[in-house]
Amino acid sequence: MRLLALALASLTAFAPMPVMAGVTEAIREHILPAVEEFSAATADLAETAADDCTAEALRPSYRQAFDAWMGLSHLSFGPLETDGRALAIEFWPDPRGMVARTVEGMTADADPVVDDPESFPEVSVAGRGLMALERLLYDDALSAYGAGDYNCRYAVAISADLSRMAGEVLADWREHAELMRTAGAEGNARYMSENEASQVLYTALLTTIEFDADQRLGRPMGTFDRPRPTRAETWRSNRPLRNVTLSLKALRGLALTMSDDPIPATEAAFDTALVTAEALGDPLLAGVETPQGRLKVEILQQQIRAIGDAIEAEIGDGLGLSAGFNSRDGD
Amino acid sequence: MKTTVAISALACAVAMPALAGKPEVVQNYVAIAHAAYEDSLTKAQELQTAIDALLAEPSEDTLAAARDAWIAARVPYMQTEAYRFGNAIVDDWEGKVNAWPLDEGLIDYVDASYGGATDENEYAALNVIASPSFTLSGEEVDAAEITPELLSEKLQEADGIEANVATGYHAIEFLLWGQDLNGTDAGAGERPWTDYASGDECTGGNCDRRGAYLKAATDLLVSDLEWMVAQWAEGGEAATSLTADPDAAISAMLTGMGSLSYGELAGERMKLGLMLNDPEEEHDCFSDNTHESHFYDGISIQNVWMGHYTRTDGTEVTGESLRDLVAEADPEVAEAVTTDIADSVDKLQAIWDRVDQGESYDQMLARGNKEGETLIMAAVDALVAQTQEIERAVNALGLQEIGFEGSDSLDNPDAVFQ
Repeated sequence: MRLLALALASLTAFAPMPVMAGVTEAIREHILPAVEEFSAATADLAETAADDCTAEALRPSYRQAFDAWMGLSHLSFGPLETDGRALAIEFWPDPRGMVARTVEGMTADADPVVDDPESFPEVSVAGRGLMALERLLYDDALSAYGAGDYNCRYAVAISADLSRMAGEVLADWREHAELMRTAGAEGNARYMSENEASQVLYTALLTTIEFDADQRLGRPMGTFDRPRPTRAETWRSNRPLRNVTLSLKALRGLALTMSDDPIPATEAAFDTALVTAEALGDPLLAGVETPQGRLKVEILQQQIRAIGDAIEAEIGDGLGLSAGFNSRDGD
Repeated sequence: MKTTVAISALACAVAMPALAGKPEVVQNYVAIAHAAYEDSLTKAQELQTAIDALLAEPSEDTLAAARDAWIAARVPYMQTEAYRFGNAIVDDWEGKVNAWPLDEGLIDYVDASYGGATDENEYAALNVIASPSFTLSGEEVDAAEITPELLSEKLQEADGIEANVATGYHAIEFLLWGQDLNGTDAGAGERPWTDYASGDECTGGNCDRRGAYLKAATDLLVSDLEWMVAQWAEGGEAATSLTADPDAAISAMLTGMGSLSYGELAGERMKLGLMLNDPEEEHDCFSDNTHESHFYDGISIQNVWMGHYTRTDGTEVTGESLRDLVAEADPEVAEAVTTDIADSVDKLQAIWDRVDQGESYDQMLARGNKEGETLIMAAVDALVAQTQEIERAVNALGLQEIGFEGSDSLDNPDAVFQ
């Protein structure tokens, strides 16, 4: 319904020519390692599931896969945008409760699509990916299944589908990396200048800072009178705060690769927020239900927003960049 | 090509005193907005007349006439949507008239398959039409009389839930068509006219209260549109603030085009519904009018770019265009934007053509419908591609972020997710 922060691309007046240090480093040190790790983690998830798909057996691999996902989920352009993969890997936020409805529908009907790897990718994104799997592994009403049960086969199907998508993302990223490295070269219609390649990274960085503050923290915070702890991301698997922390660490890594010049204010802002997050000691962000606890989460939220300000001042102004359109500009 | 872009962008940024023509471009943008909101108002008033006729003499025919009037009312309104993002005055208001998707059980009876209250929304099945009083977020609400104030002040976004949509086009749409229970099969909502009949003929219960709700929602739509027309008239707040700062206005124009293209239309309204295979994620889900809504959104973007709008009475509003302004800075980028927008409009037209051939938009969302998916994704991809060119146009003009000063979302981030 509402306007997300809108910021248009620009070359600031009197800005120096863009310094292109960032893109190559970001690809080599940040993006490709994260994509490889996610591919490995989901391959492990799929193998584990093929061996033993019960909830208890799968949970450790699930946690690893989600951790790895936090390393690249902010790269929402290019390979993760193709075929809507980002949505299919993690469908959240979910204000209309589509995951619950879809997963419960699949299990109630014992939809045979789970036994057909060819057709499974056609299932609604609310019935696939990490959020659907979280239901099967952590929802008390769904997770008590045995080795031969429908839900077990469903968990196998989701795990294999995740691994398939991660493999495609990896293959696509190797190609996309080349496009970014050759930004501005003759015939490169995707990145017509070096500036455009820097800009997508910069947009991803700022958009995800905003997402961490407004969605990952803002959704469970709700309003003062009406906190909403069960709107937190992945609360069933006890990782709302962990996701925030891992996201910030990944963004810190990206920020550091983007600028040739030191970015002390940005680093300090990340550190401040990470220390606060650690000190919260509240993995579920359940504290939002008390005035005192809510205040602590609100402070973290403000510190995360302050990271965005530091990034704009140090990286944006330094490189003559500001954020472009992003896929979350809509409602 | 790439060096041209970079150099010209930088040249503008450094050497640029305001380009000639910006004030005229902005003036035309304001004139188009005013005309399109005025047309929206006129068509909403015609809808109001048709609904008065339905309520005075409920019948198959008067219901059909009201539905036709609703569809006609969407045509100019959808063409205002490129004004929404980038103009806080529109964005802060638009939830009243076009909020979506909705948990329609808040308003009226629903099928058993709809379910009841959800984790997210305690009031998803409140059914105000059947409830003269109820408790909302701990407060006792007297709904014996259904008034525009009840809808706008108590029910709209009740309990802080955006899916509690009590007002606007989609609430009216639901009251005219009812739920579309055909899933991804053919057919729209099939509410019988007898839902508005009196005495023994009344179906669905509480026909008089349903009529009162429909009347209140329609009156509210008309008054909300009246307010917006005034903002764009000479001396109105939107008109005055944009003409006072043409640079900011140009940013607002491009922001509106890009955000509607990408995050909103391509993402939220098209790709998401497709990926969820969910007919309730289609924009006009009760009436199955989604293909028209999407198409006129595409036209809306084209209108802003070309500086041209065809009014519902056929007259033309035209003047200096954003396209010309960008062409002065970088003709190649201007040409690319023009071509890409024409392409997305073609792709949206292709979806409409498919509907004319007998397959509705919700059928295209069905799991495994490859042809439908291909058609929808072609439009999505075209919209994403045009966004990239719009971004290049922004760079070509060397624009700053000045367009967003005073925007609620930047000054007060908390306001965004209220």
